[in-house]
Amino acid sequence: MLTATKPQDAAAVLADPDTAAGLRDLAEHLAPLLQTRRLHNVVDLLSATSDFIDMADDQLTQKLAKAFEEVVWAGWSAGNALRSASATAADSEPPTLWQLSRQLNDPEVRRGLFFVIQLLGAVGRQVALEAEIPEDD
Amino acid sequence: MKKRIVIVGGGIGGTMTANNMVSKLGVEIRRNQVEVMLISNSPWHYYKPAFMYVAFDMYHKAELRRKQATLLRPEVRFVVDEVEAFEFSASRLHTRSGAHYDYDYLVVSTGCLPAPERIEGLAEAGDHFYQFEPARRLAQKLRTIERGRIFITVTFPKTPDVPHQCGIAPIETTLMVDELLRRRGVRDRVEILYTYPSVSQLLRNCLFMQKQTCEVLPQIFSDRDIHFKRGFTLERVDPDARVAHSSEGDSEDFDILMSTPPIRAVDAVINSGVSEAAEDEGWLPTNRRSLQLKGHPNVYCMGDTVDLPISKAGGSCHNQSPVIIDNIAFDLRQGATPAVYDGRVQAIAQMGLEAGMPLWYDYDQDVQPTPPTKVGGLMRKTFNRGVYWATARGLV
Repeated sequence: MLTATKPQDAAAVLADPDTAAGLRDLAEHLAPLLQTRRLHNVVDLLSATSDFIDMADDQLTQKLAKAFEEVVWAGWSAGNALRSASATAADSEPPTLWQLSRQLNDPEVRRGLFFVIQLLGAVGRQVALEAEIPEDD
Repeated sequence: MKKRIVIVGGGIGGTMTANNMVSKLGVEIRRNQVEVMLISNSPWHYYKPAFMYVAFDMYHKAELRRKQATLLRPEVRFVVDEVEAFEFSASRLHTRSGAHYDYDYLVVSTGCLPAPERIEGLAEAGDHFYQFEPARRLAQKLRTIERGRIFITVTFPKTPDVPHQCGIAPIETTLMVDELLRRRGVRDRVEILYTYPSVSQLLRNCLFMQKQTCEVLPQIFSDRDIHFKRGFTLERVDPDARVAHSSEGDSEDFDILMSTPPIRAVDAVINSGVSEAAEDEGWLPTNRRSLQLKGHPNVYCMGDTVDLPISKAGGSCHNQSPVIIDNIAFDLRQGATPAVYDGRVQAIAQMGLEAGMPLWYDYDQDVQPTPPTKVGGLMRKTFNRGVYWATARGLV
């Protein structure tokens, strides 16, 4: 048995009976894919992966990383808000309508409401863009 | 004083630049120190490479366009108007509606236009796939041809070392024609003749604008019984006799003449008077590293409008846009323009109706051709139908 830690030349590796046995098993395993040319698809996929790595550059990485951060930020912010609101609501008695309306004295609650209204406005503006169909040119 | 960045052109270059610009300058925009404006002559954004597929009945109009406003981040001020005149020295532009806009920075991404009328008889007798309606007309012919000859020509700009639109397109469509005719069962009755001009950028008597790809093409064409001929520079076409004549003194008859026609910049760019291009083609003299318009450091050029030896294609814009954005952002914040374009272009070539070949090159390194595969074809189809729009939105 050859070990991975001990450098060997290629001929010695191939001459090793365990290597030969492993290759024989692998060939049997791959035979159906080889005989039907389906292994070609896997090789093509590897080639495409290699192409993508060659084509990727710093700018692509920056854009993907930024998109990732924005998605994570949105999930993280929403998760924090949900967790906090859920814990407070679960640990408290349901407020009366009067107690509920007094929550509006809290500036952060008003800011949250303002945020929701702004969000609805932004959604509305985007929906309006979808509604307009420009003339053909 | 609020700085204004104006981007002209609602193609892929202008759109991705507007979106990524507001992302890059998010802080300045929130503080109302910077405004990013996009001016386009159309409320629609067209995926221009899909016109090629229209010629093969593979795309409907609704599938290859989106409303421009739906592709833009809300921070971008979008104006539908036609720029009629650039005053680069005054940092001002004028539009068809009578408005004028002063700018601190300008990005010109106005593309190019097919100009078959620049070759006698070509507009009457030739077809091409670089616009929607011409592609539909070509589709009608490809759908119905039963026998005869499809003759393919490629015309380069007269300006030295400037390529035609989308370098790989003539090969892509030649292979697609072959496959379409085989599917229709008429391939054995229709001859395909692919020709290439004597001068293609820096190469002479080749079949493609880059040597390594040129060397593999004869085998690819021979395997498919596609005939090919070097040294045919289309000079004039006789629409009645259906004969194409070359400046080398050769003549070829045809039933369909599928051309890559001459191209030119848009009128406003030509009329700006700063172009040094031959035959009034209008390419803007562009610094190949910083992408600034020569003599006007607050103006940047990208995509088809430049006079660089780089493919006039979206894959060029994808690499030029970040350089321009970086240089404008650095200049605004630190008074320097350190970002450098290395000539990088990437694409996935459509090799026949199903196969694809990823490719990339830059100023120093030519395309390394690899065998087209179905996986490459799936990548291209995925890009066409989805990834393109994410790219326009600045996400990829």
